Order: sequence, then structure tokens, then C-alpha cells
Amino acid sequence: MDKVKLNKYFERSLWVFHLNTGSCNGCDIEIVAGLTPRYDLERFGIKLVGSPRHADVLLVTGPVTHKMADRVKRVYEQTPDPKAVIVVGVCGISGGVFYDSYNLLGSIDKIIPVDVYVPGCPARPEAIINGVLQAWIKLEKLREGMKAAQAK
Amino acid sequence: MLGLLETGSGFWSAIIWVIVVLVIGGIVYYIRNKGEKSYKKNTEQDKPFISGNPELSKEGSHISASHIFWGFTEALKDYYAPLVKTHTGNINDYASWIVILMVIILIIVGVNG
Repeated sequence: MDKVKLNKYFERSLWVFHLNTGSCNGCDIEIVAGLTPRYDLERFGIKLVGSPRHADVLLVTGPVTHKMADRVKRVYEQTPDPKAVIVVGVCGISGGVFYDSYNLLGSIDKIIPVDVYVPGCPARPEAIINGVLQAWIKLEKLREGMKAAQAK
Repeated sequence: MLGLLETGSGFWSAIIWVIVVLVIGGIVYYIRNKGEKSYKKNTEQDKPFISGNPELSKEGSHISASHIFWGFTEALKDYYAPLVKTHTGNINDYASWIVILMVIILIIVGVNG
């Protein structure tokens, strides 16, 4: 991806809400690693926020437990449009090591639509950053689509 | 009525007060107008975020500001509920508890002694 195109996407900040639906915290630690000085995502305006109502992107970790299912749905619905969902870690994608557990409803895409999958156990910070970038590109396209629709 | 009122330690002017209200109101309106507009009315986007939990009714979620032990009593309500029931406010009940506990203690002491 060339520099000009990247600059276009970095015009406005990307606010991310992190939701743990039953993760072992392995992926959550790797997300935090993305914010530490080694990677320092905040210099690009990517920051974690405390409410989905302020977020552009949902970053979901872990398989969905039965108790979390309706909360995941509610958090997704509370996020303003346009929004993108990233699943971090193999547990949220397929159940991972918890596959077929009695306590799980299943993968995240059974509950809410998912835009980007970042596999790994846990996913590496580089992979998470790449996933966020993919979600950002998708989000900008959605925004452009919404703007074009409003212009008509 | 709209004139300047000197109080000795300051002054009061209704016109200045109205101007200040208008200026502050204008600033508040401007900041509010810059906020996110895309929230859809009458959907979940319009409701407060309570860690993903559903919003309780106003009656169900009312906690007075003075109730600083609310979290404590809520967490231990299974323990407190039977204790509250035993506090009837009737002195005969309390005296009965003393007699009953005294009998139990004397039986234990008598058996072990």
C-alpha cells in the first residue's frame, strides 16, 4: 500500500472498543502490547475507548459464552454506524481450544457480523495491527459509500 | 429594574447576567452540535452503555446518593435478608432469642462439662 493511500486513511482517528466475550486474556494482553512503546498505535490516533458508543471498531476476543451472547449483541447494536468488527484470536473464530465446550455458544460470527479475522493463540501484535488497518480501510469505504448516498 | 445594583462588596446587573447566560448557552450549544449525530433514535444506540447489560427501569435502578453501602448490602443480600427478618422490633422476640441461646449454651456446657 503506498504512502499517499495510507495518509488518506489516517486523516481521522480510529477509536476502538475492546470486548472480551470469554477470552483467557492471552489476546487481550497482545492488544495492550500494541499500545506499548514498542508498537505505539496511539501515535496514529488508534486508541481504546471505554464505551462502544464512542467507537468506530469493535475488537472482540474469546469464544462467546452463553451469558455473554446477548451482551455482545447489545454492545454491537450500541456502536454507531458505520462500524467494523475485528475478531482477535482463534477462540473467537472457531472456539479454539474451547471448541465444543458445554459452556459456549460458539464463534463470534454466530452472534454478530464480523469484518476481519485475526487468527492466532494468541494473535501477535503485528497481526492485530494489520487487522485494525484492514478494518480501517473497510470502514473508510463504508464512510465514502454513506457520503455518496447522502449526496444523492 | 435593569439598572446597576451596588452592594458594597460588588455589583449586580441583570443585563450582564442575561449576556453571560446567552454567551455560555451559545458555547454549550456549539459544543453539543459538534457531537456524534449518527445515533439512531429509539434503538440501542440511543441508550446508555452499562457494560452490555440491559437498562433497568428508573424505579429499579434508583439508588440515592446517600446510600454509600448499596454495593455492600446488594452483594451480601442473601446474608442480610434473614437477619433483617429476625429484627422484628418486638422486645419479646429479642428476649426469646436470649433465652433460647442461653439454653443452647447451657446444654453445650452441661454436655461437655
